[in-house]
Amino acid sequence: MTTSPPAVEFRRVSKSFGATVALHDVSLTVAAGEVHALVGENGAGKSTLGTVLAGIVPPDAGEVLLSGRSESLGSPRQALAAGVTMIAQELSLVPGLSVADNVFLGIEPHRGPWVRRREIRKAFDALVSSSGIEVPAEAQVGNLRIGDQQKVEILRALARDARVIVMDEPTARLSGNETATLVETVRALAARGTTIIFVSHFLDEVLDVADSVTIMRDAAIVRSGPARDETRSKLIEGMTGRPLDAMFPARQLPRRDAPKVLEVRGLTRKGTFENIDITVHQGEIVVLSGLVGSGRSEVLQAIYGSAPATSGTMTLAGAAYRPKSVRDALRAGLALIPESRKDLGLVLERSVADNVTLPYLRDVERSGLISLRREGAVARDRMTTVGVKAASPRIEVATLSGGNQQKVLFARSLVRTPVLLLADEPTRGVDVGAKRSIYDLITELAAEGMGVLVVSSEIEEVMGLAHRILVMHQGRLVSEFEAQNADEASVIAAAFGPVGART
Amino acid sequence: MSTVAEASRPKPRWTYYLTNYGIVWLTVALVAALAATTPNFVSADNLRNILDQQSIVLIVAVFVTMLLISGNFDISIGAIYTLVPLVALRIFDVSDSVILLVGVGIVVGIAAGSVNGIIVTKGRINSFVATLATALVFFGIAYLVTGGTILRLSDLDVRSLVTTRVLGLTTATWIAILVVIIAWLLLERTRFGRYIFAIGGNREAARLAGVPVDRVIFIVFVLVGAAAGLAGIMNMARTLTAQASDDFSLVFTVIAAVVVGGTSIMGGFGAIWRTVIGVLFIAFLGNGFNLNGIDPVIQRIIEGLVILAAVGLDAWTRSRRE
Repeated sequence: MTTSPPAVEFRRVSKSFGATVALHDVSLTVAAGEVHALVGENGAGKSTLGTVLAGIVPPDAGEVLLSGRSESLGSPRQALAAGVTMIAQELSLVPGLSVADNVFLGIEPHRGPWVRRREIRKAFDALVSSSGIEVPAEAQVGNLRIGDQQKVEILRALARDARVIVMDEPTARLSGNETATLVETVRALAARGTTIIFVSHFLDEVLDVADSVTIMRDAAIVRSGPARDETRSKLIEGMTGRPLDAMFPARQLPRRDAPKVLEVRGLTRKGTFENIDITVHQGEIVVLSGLVGSGRSEVLQAIYGSAPATSGTMTLAGAAYRPKSVRDALRAGLALIPESRKDLGLVLERSVADNVTLPYLRDVERSGLISLRREGAVARDRMTTVGVKAASPRIEVATLSGGNQQKVLFARSLVRTPVLLLADEPTRGVDVGAKRSIYDLITELAAEGMGVLVVSSEIEEVMGLAHRILVMHQGRLVSEFEAQNADEASVIAAAFGPVGART
Repeated sequence: MSTVAEASRPKPRWTYYLTNYGIVWLTVALVAALAATTPNFVSADNLRNILDQQSIVLIVAVFVTMLLISGNFDISIGAIYTLVPLVALRIFDVSDSVILLVGVGIVVGIAAGSVNGIIVTKGRINSFVATLATALVFFGIAYLVTGGTILRLSDLDVRSLVTTRVLGLTTATWIAILVVIIAWLLLERTRFGRYIFAIGGNREAARLAGVPVDRVIFIVFVLVGAAAGLAGIMNMARTLTAQASDDFSLVFTVIAAVVVGGTSIMGGFGAIWRTVIGVLFIAFLGNGFNLNGIDPVIQRIIEGLVILAAVGLDAWTRSRRE
């Protein structure tokens, strides 16, 4: 590692998109066979650096050297020929084809027009044994979990002799277990000599997987060094450029005698969750924790009426509450921030105002027709409340950053002040700055008397935000902690199931 | 607050206006070219005729626009358009009431649209396949109703329903203008219209926002059926005859116009004004060919290529917009 030239070297690379500077005079070396993480807030330039390397975006100035040789990386094809490939956040597999066919798509061994299936199989098996990445060759890719699909992408890269793999937010859509497997896979690849550029928001994973970390802010590198010298808080300080007082606002516990907003008793949907009891008081932030797949989101959906429970009772603000549809829930004064803003939350090609008012169009109507003036006023007002940065309420939601898009969903939930706010992974895929402002917002809403029920997979979020923590395991509530007496280890332990429990 | 005022993207440049309104510029260019080269093109009579001829297509096309935006499709409009006047005529033969003629026509259109809507929403069958099947059924029923003969309208006064001149335009044109305005209001200024966009853009997000997805899709199918029925009655009133056929041509004409206008067949994007422009563009093109005496066979080929070019240009500019 000391004598060989670096696998990748950026020399004074700059790139602008219109008036936006994405990279400013960036120089960076990445040693061969290391896992090199790029971290930074959205727009800091880390993804652009990855796309320059993968030939997707040509730099305006500067050069890129691979193993000491200057390479022109004008297209993904050229980059691949030079041994670099990128695995994007959105995977690019053909769902209807088998794993092996996907891996060799476009480079199938063939004789004339005939694909040689046995050769493919042989090459695939060789690839699996040399990389140690196991995926069933004949499985149809569309039926695989995201984590396995990602392995297929990695195999595909290896089948094309990639020596440098850029991974853009590889864990954003993975569950906890899948993430752990990915981290192992990446470590194994590096041990076999592949260089990995790991672009991620998730700092714990970065610290887990990386040999070196480069922090970027405002299109430039803040510092680059060994991962063992970094900590979570040092990374956050580097990314934000501000000293880290705390990631979370001060906890404002509800009054002892605060009335109940929601009382759930014995809520059950066979095969999904059973016998769930939840109470949320006015001004209280209750966080539902547990592993992905433990039934947390489904409980939220049942309370929201979008996938009703089969038995159990609910009381909302003292009155019996039996939602059969989303409309029932909206009428009763609930609001939901869904799990995935792109798939479940927003209509991306419509305007911000459209998205904010969608469930509450009645409120901005005048004699049966939507009043654009009133709609604009409502949207603008709620956007200000939650701090959406957008030129106007009439621009497409798709043009906003992830954090701003998430805030649009909060703006929607506040069109009518709900008595109970349900939020499923409210800060997933948003940068550190936006996270903090979402925490501030949730805390503020609770302080004003709203009940808040949050589902979260991030343990810091669970610990930092909650007044009370409920832990689910395999469809059942297994533990409850008051925030003051909770410690991270016991919450995590509870999520993995009661000690000595049957599985 | 300053946060809202803060710009997150630059002001749209002229290229945005060029690309987003491509079909408008094409139509303007076409009209200019025809006006310059073809003596009779810009005349009150010619333009009045074009509008009159296109009234039927417009009425169906604006509701098909809604359907495409919602992410659905209807192949059966041609069959409804064929079937409705036949049923209405049978009723007219025994009742002799013009109000009933029009009323029954629209009711049969609504019924046919409801069948489509129920199959698509309750049966969870892809709308393309479902309406292809119902089209065959409706065409078949049309033959049953007529027994294969041409039905003639005995009461010649019915013709005045669509041909009367009001302020220089025919009543058919006025009906079309009214329908276009209603459709525009529905789509752009009502909850229903917003729901259509939301469903076509992201069905699951719409559902979680409380949009009654199935009900909205059902209603759009009903509106399309009613529009096809009304169009069928107007056509019959004009020709005073009706007969069973397997004529799918209305489907092609309508969808070509909607798509040329720039409404996405993938759902989620489109507008009524786009469809109006699309209808006019194709109409001007055909009219220009006729006035210049171009062989109808060649016309078809050129028309096909122009549609391809218009849609291709639209797709290309939109991909550059990303």
